[in-house]
Parts: sequence; C-alpha cells; structure tokens
Amino acid sequence: MHVFPAQTINPSSRSKRGIFAGNGSRLTAKRVLASLGMTGLAAATALVVASSAAWAQTKIDFFFPVPVEGKLAREMTRLVKQFNDSQKDVEVTAVYTGSYDDTKLKAQAAAKAGKPPAVVLMSANFNVDLKIAGDIVSLEPMLAAEGTTREKFLADFWPALHANATVDGELYGVPFQNSTPLLYYNKEHFKQAGLDPDKPPRTWAEFVDAAIKLTKRDGEKVERYGFMMPGTYDYLGWLMSALSMSNGGRYFNEDYGGEVYYDTPSMLGAARLVEDMIHKHKVMPAGVVEAGGVSTSFFAGKASMVMLSTGSLSFIRDNMKAPYNVAFVPRNVRNAVPIGGASLVMFKGQTEDSRRAGWKFVRWLSSPEILGGWSRFTGYFAPRRSAYELAEMKTFIGQHPDAKVALDQLAYAQPWFATYQTVAVRKALEDEIQAVMNGKKKAEQAVKDAQRKADELLRPYVDQTALKLP
Amino acid sequence: MRLDRHIAPALLVAAMTAVSTVWAAPFLWTLMASFRPDSFGAAGMASLLPDFAPTLANFRLALESGDFGLYYLNTTIVVIGILGVQLVTISLAGYAFARLRFPGRDFLFYAFLLQLMLVPPALIVPNLRTIVDLGLYDSLAGVMAPYFASAFGTFLMRQAFLGIPRDFEEAAAIDGAPWWAIVWHVLLPMARPALVAFAIVSVTAHWNEFLWPLMVINDPANHTLTIGLATFTRGAEGAKEWGVLAAGTLLVMAPLAITFVAFQRRFVESFVFSGIKG
Repeated sequence: MHVFPAQTINPSSRSKRGIFAGNGSRLTAKRVLASLGMTGLAAATALVVASSAAWAQTKIDFFFPVPVEGKLAREMTRLVKQFNDSQKDVEVTAVYTGSYDDTKLKAQAAAKAGKPPAVVLMSANFNVDLKIAGDIVSLEPMLAAEGTTREKFLADFWPALHANATVDGELYGVPFQNSTPLLYYNKEHFKQAGLDPDKPPRTWAEFVDAAIKLTKRDGEKVERYGFMMPGTYDYLGWLMSALSMSNGGRYFNEDYGGEVYYDTPSMLGAARLVEDMIHKHKVMPAGVVEAGGVSTSFFAGKASMVMLSTGSLSFIRDNMKAPYNVAFVPRNVRNAVPIGGASLVMFKGQTEDSRRAGWKFVRWLSSPEILGGWSRFTGYFAPRRSAYELAEMKTFIGQHPDAKVALDQLAYAQPWFATYQTVAVRKALEDEIQAVMNGKKKAEQAVKDAQRKADELLRPYVDQTALKLP
Repeated sequence: MRLDRHIAPALLVAAMTAVSTVWAAPFLWTLMASFRPDSFGAAGMASLLPDFAPTLANFRLALESGDFGLYYLNTTIVVIGILGVQLVTISLAGYAFARLRFPGRDFLFYAFLLQLMLVPPALIVPNLRTIVDLGLYDSLAGVMAPYFASAFGTFLMRQAFLGIPRDFEEAAAIDGAPWWAIVWHVLLPMARPALVAFAIVSVTAHWNEFLWPLMVINDPANHTLTIGLATFTRGAEGAKEWGVLAAGTLLVMAPLAITFVAFQRRFVESFVFSGIKG
C-alpha cells in the first residue's frame, strides 16, 4: 500500500519546481488516491510522504580525486558544504575517488552500472577519451540555455586551457585547477656552487652546466644531485612532453586524437637530455624516482634543482627550510610547457533535474571567487583571468613571487596530451623512457619503440577515422 | 665433527636473522618514520635507528585527516560480515562437494574453481551492475556481497572434509544423527584448523582491500580504512608527508598486527594442520 502512493508522486516534478511544488504534488497525490478509492490511512501516509518529500532537493554526486594531499580533500568537502548551505535547490554529495586514474575508473564503472555521477573533477586530458567512449555530455546546451556562447564563456579562461576544454569544437569540460611543470631550485646550493641564485638557468646549456656544478661527489659516490625529476607514470609523460615542447616539439596532434609525435627529433633530443644527465654527466640519479622522493630529496638538500608541478607550490612553500626559488622550465628551442590539472565534466544518463543541478554546481565551483580561493590554498593556478583581478589574489601574488613566476610561465603554456586511449598511449612512451633511465636502452631505440607501440594502440581509432576512405 | 654440529645451527640462525631483517625493514622504517618529528626535511629520513625524540604529532595529524573511529567500525563490519556468511557457505558447499553424490559433481567443482583464475578488476563493471540492481549501491552490504561465496574457501573445506575418515560420521549416523548434525557436531570441529586458516586469509584480504570498496562507496559515512587512508596518501602531483603517511599506515594495520601477535601460536598451528603456507 505504501509503495503505490509514493510512486504516483513523480519525484522529478518535486524538485523541478522547487519549494512550491509541494502543494501541487500533494494535491495530485490526494486526488489520485481519492479517485482510486483508497482508504483514509493510505491517503494520510501519502500526505506524509508527499509533504516531507516536497522539501527534498535534487541530490547529485560529485566525484573528486585528491591530486596533491589530504588537506585538499578536507578543503573540497568544506567548499561543497558551503555550496549546499548557500542555496536550497541542490544538494551535492562530495565523493572522494582516489587518484586521477581511479576517478576515471570509478566514474566509468558507475556510469556503466547505471549510476552515473552528475559532476566529476576529471584529469583535463581524459576528455577526448571520455567523449569518444560516449561517457560525458557536451556542455553547449547549458551555455545556450544561459544565452551565451562557447567563445564568450571561454574568453575569461587562459587561452592555453581552451584546447583541453573542448573536443571536436564543443565544450566538454570547465577548467577548475591547473598547473604547469616548474623548476624549483635551492638558492644556497647555487651560491655554494658559484652560481647566481637570482639567475636560474634559462637554456638547456645553462641547465646542464648548472646541474654539473651543483652535483657534489665524494669519489664515485654522489652526495648531492644537481637535478631530479619524478619518473613514475603520469608524471613522466607530462615532464617529457614539457621537455620535447621546449625543444620545439608538439608531442601530439591537438586537433586529432589519433597521432602522437614520439619518433621525432624534438622528442629524441628530450630523451637524450635525460639520458645524458643520468649516464654521461651523472648529475641525476639513475632509475625511477617517485614524486614524493623528489620533493623529499629537495627538502633534505640532496637535490639542488627539481622539476615538479606548480600544484606543489604550497606544499613546498610550507615545508622547504632553505631559501628556494622557482623558474621556467629551461628551453632548447623555445619556452613551452604543457598544462596539467583537472576540469569539471558532466556524465551522460542524468535526469533533466540533475543535469540542471550539476550545471549550477559547476558554475558555482568555477566562479572567480572560488577558483581564486582554491588556487591560494593549493598552489594550482586559477583558470580564470578575472580571478586574478580580485583584491585577495593581488595581495597574494604580491606576497608570493614564486606564484608570480608560475603565472608568467602560462604565457608559454600549450595544451596537454590527449588522444584516443590517452593513458595507454602515454605509457607506451613512459615505459621506454624508464628503460633509458635505468640504462637498459638508448634514447634512439626508445623513441622508435615508443612510437611503434603508440601507433599500434591508436590503430583502431585511426582506421575508423583518418584512414576510413570513401 | 663436533665443530660441524655447532656451525650448522649457527649458520642457520644467521641466515634466518638476515632474511627476517630484510622482511622486517619496511615495518621498522614505518614505525620509526611515524614517530620521527619533521619527517620530510630531516636528512636521517631513511634511517632505521631512533636518533630523535619521539613525537606523536604525526599520529595526531593522521587522526585529524580522517574519521578513524568510523573507518574502523565500517571495516570491521565488512570484514566480519563477509567472514560470517563465508563460513556458512564454504562449509556447506565444501560438504556437498566432499560427501554428497550427485551427477556432474566433479565437473561442477572444477568449474567452481575456475573463479580463482579471474582477475578481480575484470569483474568490476559486471559486479557493480548486479550491486545496483540489488539496490546495494553505496552500502556496506554492497561491498560485502560479491565475496559471500568463495571458491578458495570451498576448495579448502572440501579438502579438509575429505581428510576426515568416514568412520566418525558413520558412528554418528548409526546413532541416528541427521546430516546437518553430522556437519555441525562431527565434521566442523575436526575441520577447525582449515576454518581458522581461511578466516585469516579472508580477514586480511578484505581488511586491506581498496579498489572494490572505492567503486561501491560514495557516502563518506560508509568509507572503510583503506579509502580513508588513501585520502591523505594517494597524491598524484604533489609531495608526500612521510611521517603522517607512516602513522596512518600503522593505524590501519595495527589491529590486525596486534591480533596476529596475540594469537600467533594458534594461527601457526592451524596453518600447519591445514597445509597452507602464510
């Protein structure tokens, strides 16, 4: 008996019309029940169900990874609570979902099982893959409903972010937290090595020279490395793309998800730089070091220069005891770095209400005030230019010159690697570069093998698209 | 000759010490790092020796990073819930495969064992679909459900029952005991080592499981220990606070470690009986 009246009240009609829907649906329920000749008890039950439900909001899930550290998870939970308290129509449940890769796995599994999350904070270079898989929705209809266009909407976002936000000319992701690789260096070590701590290396030649001077040896044993960078999955591919871009390369085709440029002079040069620093100059440790190990070495004075994300700025600022500074990633041909970070995407399979609720949440999270606050808290840069016009942000940049350098480098930022099967194609390169780092392969062979593997992975998509001829 | 008799045991002890030192090093390091103040900057980070005044700051930070009381409760519910159901299903299934005669029994048994060959991640999507259909999504019951039947446990119990001479059952049967009384009063008490061994394997596996709970659970109120720990240890782009990480890891593994030490003798005995190596 209870079940039937509850079902006659369409749950979506409630939330769609908000608070005032209560009376309407209560009346409907009553009328339906009366016409069906239900008992008074059932009608009373229905009234209770209806009136308590009338105040219910549209509930949506928001999946987010924790890309840097735990206190970010707490801050994100606080933000979501602030949103929930600020209005009555939407209630967001913040769901922590592990790493970037775990988040993709969970969101896609949930979607396949019929429980797609409304909004996900997704690694910004997964959009192409997710769009090809048919998991995420185009945000164009939401823009149209607001009476705006993609061009107008994106105008406030840094130009380097546009490519990763759009797929095939439509908006699929709203940038939320973004980063670029950055060179962090220990100023004291620079002084000891006879280098000017206010003149960090700008070119690869200066970079290698500095790394050699900074390395401290005791016989064969290295006491302090001139340079270190993470070599683990995800990070390594990102840093290799920074090095190949600084060498004039492109890494991948920004307009077509079926091409990567591994077996090219620009990538070969980048691979050789890593190879030489490890095996020829011996200024960088051999083998694969994890990001945590790199920052720990930097804090402990065991590494003089490290290449890490701008997303680590706050963490390094809080924990580095010795004076340090940051600099652009050194160039061989040009200054260029890929962006990184995450954007907000919306999954398919939502009701009209949760789609609207999700968009409302996306709009709130990507407002200049929230983006600015998140940027100050984490070290990521805010994707909106207007966030930097805010008074708090101006004060902050004034107080933290390192954040200013990270921001200045944005002028040279390029889109992030995104293709069909992004993760596997990226690993094809990473496995080979790791072999170079371990001294098991020469750079020439590594880039050739990486290209061959990547081409094999891309083949199904290429056959369906560029090689599908009439 | 005399010398040999003294050297051989000494060598054995030396070898065992070397192996156990290598095995224990990560645990020792975790223990040291969790009490070490200032764990990311210090040059002695990698040292296994206590060269510092111990601090509880890392534990405080770890406890602040998550609602550990809730995580312990949820993980305990999951682990005990799974084990409780498993003990019933594997005993009955093991009995059926060991003692009952029905057509296709052996084929069915081997088909059942095939389950052991499947890699769990391959089952995420189909399992999740079933969980959603059953209405168990985002609940602890959903985390437990796929493990209610265990191929490994069934195999273990079947072997344990097969190892018990039929004389015992026949004696009970002559006295008029029905099959369930035979299982309960005769077979299960004799198969206790196998049950204990399975319990250890099951509890450890589900206590440490990460991926499946992460897939099923959304509500923070349902988070288990591993997910809670991951919220402050799984950084992708940033650096790591080793001390807090070590303290959190210790908090997660402490209950199991303490239980194991407390009941060590029993556990070792049951492994010896059941023929499983830990």
